[in-house]
Amino acid sequence: MLEIKNLQVKVAGKEILKGIDLSIGPGEVHAVMGPNGSGKTTLAQVLAGRLTYEVTGGSARFQGKDLLAMKPEDRAREGVFMAFQYPVEIPGVSNAYFLKAALNAIRKYRGLEEIDAMDFMGLVQDKAKLLGLDETFMKRGLNEGFSGGEKKKNEVFQMAVLEPKFCILDETDSGLDIDALRLVANGVNTMRGPNRSMLVVTHYQRLLDYVIPDFVHVLVDGRIVKSGDADLARNLEKHGYGWIVEEAPKPQPARA
Amino acid sequence: MALANNYQQADTGTKMLHIGKNTRSTIISKGISSGYGRNTYRGRVQIHKGATNARNYSQCDSLLIGSTCAAFTFPDIQVQEPTAQMEHEASTSKIGEDQLFYCQTRGITPEDATNMIVNGFCKQVFLKLPMEFAVEAQKLISVSLNLEGTVG
Repeated sequence: MLEIKNLQVKVAGKEILKGIDLSIGPGEVHAVMGPNGSGKTTLAQVLAGRLTYEVTGGSARFQGKDLLAMKPEDRAREGVFMAFQYPVEIPGVSNAYFLKAALNAIRKYRGLEEIDAMDFMGLVQDKAKLLGLDETFMKRGLNEGFSGGEKKKNEVFQMAVLEPKFCILDETDSGLDIDALRLVANGVNTMRGPNRSMLVVTHYQRLLDYVIPDFVHVLVDGRIVKSGDADLARNLEKHGYGWIVEEAPKPQPARA
Repeated sequence: MALANNYQQADTGTKMLHIGKNTRSTIISKGISSGYGRNTYRGRVQIHKGATNARNYSQCDSLLIGSTCAAFTFPDIQVQEPTAQMEHEASTSKIGEDQLFYCQTRGITPEDATNMIVNGFCKQVFLKLPMEFAVEAQKLISVSLNLEGTVG
């Protein structure tokens, strides 16, 4: 589904990603872990299409298409979704309105008709239940005055409504209490399916207790230095990142 | 509501004079600046002698689109009656790259996103207008902004 080859990225002249190789198949959930400043968020943002990041080498293909050549909105329409670490606020634009605009933009791209208002309400109510969000939530301004937890829930909620093929979760677990984490994880888990892949970026094992990844990659200094299964994440939680940095100082290619 | 696009300079304002007793007023001003536009709002509120217990609430919000435009606010409050209650709030916000990128990752083009944010900004005023008028105003803003090329 997603093929990343030797991806190199600079931010403000500084090399952040120094050659990432990553292959994500349909239905797979990959977790990317790593210490602060290792390039996790950069990887997520580059895949979503942030312009401030300069791709200096390598490629990323999504379902055979050149992802890096696409505009961010076209990536979204193709089925890429990123749950933000820090979602923005747009005052005066209601959640419902925003979500409907997004859904219709995506539907239009795929040659579908705009969604009927009644159908939309039904869809939204179903998905809202999944995350324990009440009805007033839809009428509030987009993330306007939301608590950190509400913003993160809203990201997963949008993901549930838009039904992307490839989801990037950028530290969606940060700032969540245990109950909220469970709700969010539950939302993410119900979205897992044979045709949907996920890239979960996180610092902690915590989220991965609930959303069990098929593969775990450790990113250190812009390179994937170790890949494994869910056990790797548990080891990291116990022993920290130090041992990996020492054990694998040389760049190692990830799973081919 | 005022809008300044390209090299336009809008210098608009309101005057609110309180003469009678127990009078109340609310002023909501929304200024949008885009391109090289400059928006100035002057708001004079006078509470005349004898206008006891008068109340005024003024709100002045400015929205900047891009980094080459500007907004100015000059409140001018003259009170000659100690029982008056005056409130003034002003805010300036900017459509940021973050907001546009966020909308883009949801499949919305930067042009549509800008439109959406501007409408959200004006919503408080639109809601007070009669329906037909609000629809027209919304379209007018969208056309006046002529969003092509003003973003990014």
